[in-house]
Amino acid sequence: MSVVVRSGLSVTCSAWKALLLRETVNRLAAGRGAWVWILLEPLIHVMFMLLMFTAVRVTNVGGIDATLWLTIGMVAFFLFRRTANQCTNAISANRALFTYRQVKPVDTVLVRAATEGFLMMLVLILALCVLALLGHEILPADPMTLLGALLGLWLVGLGFGLVFSVGVELVPEVGKVVNIIMMPAYFMSGVMVQIGAIPEPYRSWLALNPLVHGVESARLAFAPYYHTIGDLSLGYLYSWALVLVFLGLALQLRFAQRVVSQ
Amino acid sequence: MIVVEDVHKRYRTDHGPGKWVLSGVSFTIPKNVNVGLVGRNGAGKSTLLRLIGGIDTPNRGRIERHCRVSWPMGFGGGLQGSLTGRQNAKFVCRVLGHEHDMAARIAFMQDFAEIGASFDEPVKTYSSGMKSRLQFAMSLAFDFDVYISDEVTSTGDAAFRSKANKAFKNLANRAGLIMVSHSDSTLREFCSAGIWLHEGRAHWFDDIGDALKNYKESIAA
Repeated sequence: MSVVVRSGLSVTCSAWKALLLRETVNRLAAGRGAWVWILLEPLIHVMFMLLMFTAVRVTNVGGIDATLWLTIGMVAFFLFRRTANQCTNAISANRALFTYRQVKPVDTVLVRAATEGFLMMLVLILALCVLALLGHEILPADPMTLLGALLGLWLVGLGFGLVFSVGVELVPEVGKVVNIIMMPAYFMSGVMVQIGAIPEPYRSWLALNPLVHGVESARLAFAPYYHTIGDLSLGYLYSWALVLVFLGLALQLRFAQRVVSQ
Repeated sequence: MIVVEDVHKRYRTDHGPGKWVLSGVSFTIPKNVNVGLVGRNGAGKSTLLRLIGGIDTPNRGRIERHCRVSWPMGFGGGLQGSLTGRQNAKFVCRVLGHEHDMAARIAFMQDFAEIGASFDEPVKTYSSGMKSRLQFAMSLAFDFDVYISDEVTSTGDAAFRSKANKAFKNLANRAGLIMVSHSDSTLREFCSAGIWLHEGRAHWFDDIGDALKNYKESIAA
């Protein structure tokens, strides 16, 4: 009998494919109409906030349509948050599958990030379609910047997840801290507050948060005349992404054995 | 052939490193030999199986696998509770790179496991016997040189055990088996050689009967 030894790359690719299908099935088909809720949950959240905003008669934020401003901001932030949360829990949720030595902990994190990024793209497209039907102007003036901003936010979410998925396994209390962090992160990323309208020196402090740069760049991509912060930089967002992803991969490599062995 | 050389293993506990579960375990399992692992609870049998299966790595020493080794089957490991039996089976086919002949292998698993319509129900609804059947069928669907079984046959009913026995007899001329069981009859039925794990060390016996005898004497004393 001939023994075919698969290359490391082909093993990893088949593990990724199997995990991707597993994750997607689990996410979209677990329970009744699970996929509806995955898409609707962020949209309902957005609609609720829109209701609150329009009730106080805000129609214009920083020079652009308040509806678009809020929708883009929230979907962009959720792209980060959902990727980060899903990735953080990836290892513990897939523990049973480490029985197969082909599956490494880092694979589960990467695959979850891909699944979540794809789902949030669908959410964004759906949200924009709804806005278009309601008569809003939804075509971005600068589509490349929009993609760049979203990719940056997704990468920061992935890096965050890579770091904290190991952290949670080593020190379980880290999970609670992550949950606590997400709330202030939501408020301090300029999702519901226009950062450009906040006085100095607080504006510069808030601008240290890389998520602000991603969220604001995404809005600016729709309307170049949007009044944002002066030193907006996608490079800053990507620097964070690079550092977090690198740190995360290093941690995954360093602690791969310990994460599986417990 | 599987070479285990001076393997040490301990686990991390909440209070720092735990005690050595295995300290200086060395043996060589030749090709096509069925080996039974005996030892008291906590002697490190499952740990050793996990190390041989490549899920875990030893703190010191090394393990060489010169053949294709299955994953350790037993205690529901390797099955995702929220997925159905079929989805789990597909997952394993894909991970092992058998996507092209997946349909045939899944048909085999379904046929061998004999769990009927439950094959399309989530694994978390299975009884432990049904899980064993599925795990066993899943590993038999692939051509491994060595199958690792952690009490997988112990939860099966009489019909399943005789079927498993027959399947292993058929494999005997091309594959080996490493198994843990607390049942003498199971071990004698399946295995020829034995390893007795005692106080962190492994003792090899060419005859499973001798391993069981030593094990019995150690717990009687």
